[in-house]
Amino acid sequence: MTHRLYSLLAASMLLLVTFASLIWLADADFFKSIMAFFKGAFGGRKYAYLLVTISKAALITGMAIAALIAFRAGLFNIGGEGQLVIGGLASAFVAINLPFGGPAGIFLVLLAGMIAAGVWAIIAGIMKLWLGVPILVGTLLLNYPARYIASYFVSHPLRDISSGMPQTHLIEKSLWLPLIPGTRLDIGFIFILFVFCLVLIYCYRTVGGYEAKMTGLSIDFANASGLKTKKISLETLALSGAIAGLVGAIAVLGLHHRFTDGMLVQPLYAWTGIVAALMVSLIPWAVLPAGFFFAAIHSGASGMERTADVPKEIAIIIQGMIILFVASKVPTAFNQNIGDGK
Amino acid sequence: MKAELHEISVNFGTFCAVNNVSLSFAPGEIHALVGENGAGKSTAMSVLFGLNTDYQGNIVINDQHRRWKSPADAISAGVGMVHQHFMLQETMSVLENVILCSEPVNKLGFVSFATAAKSVQNLIDSYDLQIDQTQKVSELSVGQRQAVEILKLLYRRSDLLILDEPTAVLTPNEKNELFQSLSNFKASGKSIILITHKIDEVMMIADKVSVMRSGNLISSKLLKNTSKDEIQQNIIGGTLPKPIKRKKMHPKNIGFEMKKVIIPGLATRRKPISLKVYLGEIVGIAGVSGNGQTPLVEAIVGLRNILSGNMLLSNETISDKDVSARRRKGLSYIPEDRQRVGLALDASVIENSCVSQIRNKKFSNGYFFNLQHLRKFSEQLVSEYDIRVGTVKSKVRTMSGGNKQKLVVARELEQKKQLVIAENPTWGVDIGAINKIHQELIKMRDMGHAILLVSNEIEEIMGLSDRIHVMANGQLSEAMSSAEVTANKLGKLMLSHNDPTLSEKLEKMQP
Repeated sequence: MTHRLYSLLAASMLLLVTFASLIWLADADFFKSIMAFFKGAFGGRKYAYLLVTISKAALITGMAIAALIAFRAGLFNIGGEGQLVIGGLASAFVAINLPFGGPAGIFLVLLAGMIAAGVWAIIAGIMKLWLGVPILVGTLLLNYPARYIASYFVSHPLRDISSGMPQTHLIEKSLWLPLIPGTRLDIGFIFILFVFCLVLIYCYRTVGGYEAKMTGLSIDFANASGLKTKKISLETLALSGAIAGLVGAIAVLGLHHRFTDGMLVQPLYAWTGIVAALMVSLIPWAVLPAGFFFAAIHSGASGMERTADVPKEIAIIIQGMIILFVASKVPTAFNQNIGDGK
Repeated sequence: MKAELHEISVNFGTFCAVNNVSLSFAPGEIHALVGENGAGKSTAMSVLFGLNTDYQGNIVINDQHRRWKSPADAISAGVGMVHQHFMLQETMSVLENVILCSEPVNKLGFVSFATAAKSVQNLIDSYDLQIDQTQKVSELSVGQRQAVEILKLLYRRSDLLILDEPTAVLTPNEKNELFQSLSNFKASGKSIILITHKIDEVMMIADKVSVMRSGNLISSKLLKNTSKDEIQQNIIGGTLPKPIKRKKMHPKNIGFEMKKVIIPGLATRRKPISLKVYLGEIVGIAGVSGNGQTPLVEAIVGLRNILSGNMLLSNETISDKDVSARRRKGLSYIPEDRQRVGLALDASVIENSCVSQIRNKKFSNGYFFNLQHLRKFSEQLVSEYDIRVGTVKSKVRTMSGGNKQKLVVARELEQKKQLVIAENPTWGVDIGAINKIHQELIKMRDMGHAILLVSNEIEEIMGLSDRIHVMANGQLSEAMSSAEVTANKLGKLMLSHNDPTLSEKLEKMQP
């Protein structure tokens, strides 16, 4: 226990020293930078920055949940990015063409995003089961077609030419996700919270969640016990993809109100989500704070850049260090078959 | 080289793998070390080769006490070992592989391949090995690769060669070549240790034979002072344990039947397998591991498709059903590999104890499970089978081998299925757990279940089975009544590897 305490202290000291020296290198004031960081993450007039953090946290947490669901079933789905993009594109497409708006319309648009992304994720599963392409490789490589298909659609068939950008037309206002009264925060994060609760139930109380976990822990065990592992794998991939698709649809309907080329790729939502899920070693309830943590670092970094003139890359370096420290403490996610004693 | 192991003991946790073993190896002698799988042969030799440094006792080389820090020490002192799995660089030539890590260098520090090639060729010629040193290892046959491994040792001037199951992968011709080379080494005064469980080879080539059983040295004699029967007796263990009390059963109804089943990956000659297990009997399948037991069990459980034939569980065909359908129909399975197949080590006892029954109405409505019922069920298993574990929420990884296995056995037997397949159910567990597991299997038999016991342990097979088949080289012998069969007879059948006359013998063995 004392050993853990010491290593925690040592890690914090190292972080602080690195942070201070980086800020010194950037020729900025240390305390001013820290203040700017916290204000950027949690402050602002009427907590405006905090609301930005929450909105970002929702997207990152959503992607972390998507990664978590697949990883715990032993499916290394690192194609969240592609599924996110396909989900966003599909929902933008449906939203633009939908003749009606309102809650029913919003529901349909979200559903479209989930279905499209779920199907996109299943492609990797099919490639695995029938062609032997590892899930890791299949999902990763499917990111590229997804990205460029979206690029093509927003540059040509769906392009809003008058805007001069590779992006779709603006979506009808009646399909936008409503804002929380008195703020500029849309209700997308509530959807994510809802999904989070469902996933907790799924992980801790459902037969499907249990069977997926067993499959992930040992596929031979699952097979010999009579679990239908192929079916479980495909279903889990579809579920993981659908959640990524929902995140894409929420970003389209709540945040951007259109699909702009690269808007879901550049902020690295999917990859940050994967890192968040791994950082907490796939403990379901912990992805929520992990997602919030990363969102806070990102918006804090922007705040620091705005007011203290410290490049936001510094915060990203600190984030990287934290991940390294945490990852070295939680080795259970991937090496569960190494060093098995009798 | 003269080498001695002096009162060597090796413990893995509470498990004693080698118990106070003393052995001596003389120059110009082929010393065979025999025993069943897990008897401690390889562990004892890994001490001599420096792979295992955590032991009690002494290593004495040429009358000097030595203690290795690593295999490198042993190698520089002239001890060399060829492992069962070769350690060669596929894409490099024979020469490059042989001199790797002890390359001759010239003044400028470059590898002098000319010098190396000359000395390697000298070795090849003087021991009459059949290798071309310019060939790439990837182009070589298994036998040639083994020769390269041996050449590596010769190049490093090893005087004591340890060969771990060297013939396991060889064809008969390659085997003869190997034995010829070994005779040449012997003539040049090297000591050779042959780890094996094939008695025929021992009789053919060894000068001295040492037998190990469950970590103990049973005997160490010159070949001329012992006999094949005595060696066999020593390997298996002279006395059988007291039989567990069992009811007299008069099995009439067939519980499980295989009719002329051909299983892919089983034998070179695809001979169909037929097998019957009556309700209320234990049918044992004896055999040295790796003779086709795994494919057979996988085929029955449903993890492997069969090519032809039929399998019946209570007179209904199950050949086309998947694992879960077969389990529902009345099958439970205690797998050999509890670490990977029997359990999910990072899941809790609760999660492990209900895996194939989670969809059962008792535990769930098909969507949500009832945690209370699951916990109660696993607590019941833990107390009934005397499983030692912190709480049922603990991870299975934290349990000892015996307790892990008891959990697997408890889970599978508790379902009270008509057919129980037990594959090496007591492998690597302590004696107390062995007794408990054996009792439970007998109890199931007495209750009128059909039990198929696949085991490498002759004692276990003889002690539990009503009828016995022997599996060797992918073929199943006719069933023998366990009252009529002797351990020697079984041992002979099991150990006659690659023996072309085996099938004839098997046919003659019909009761």
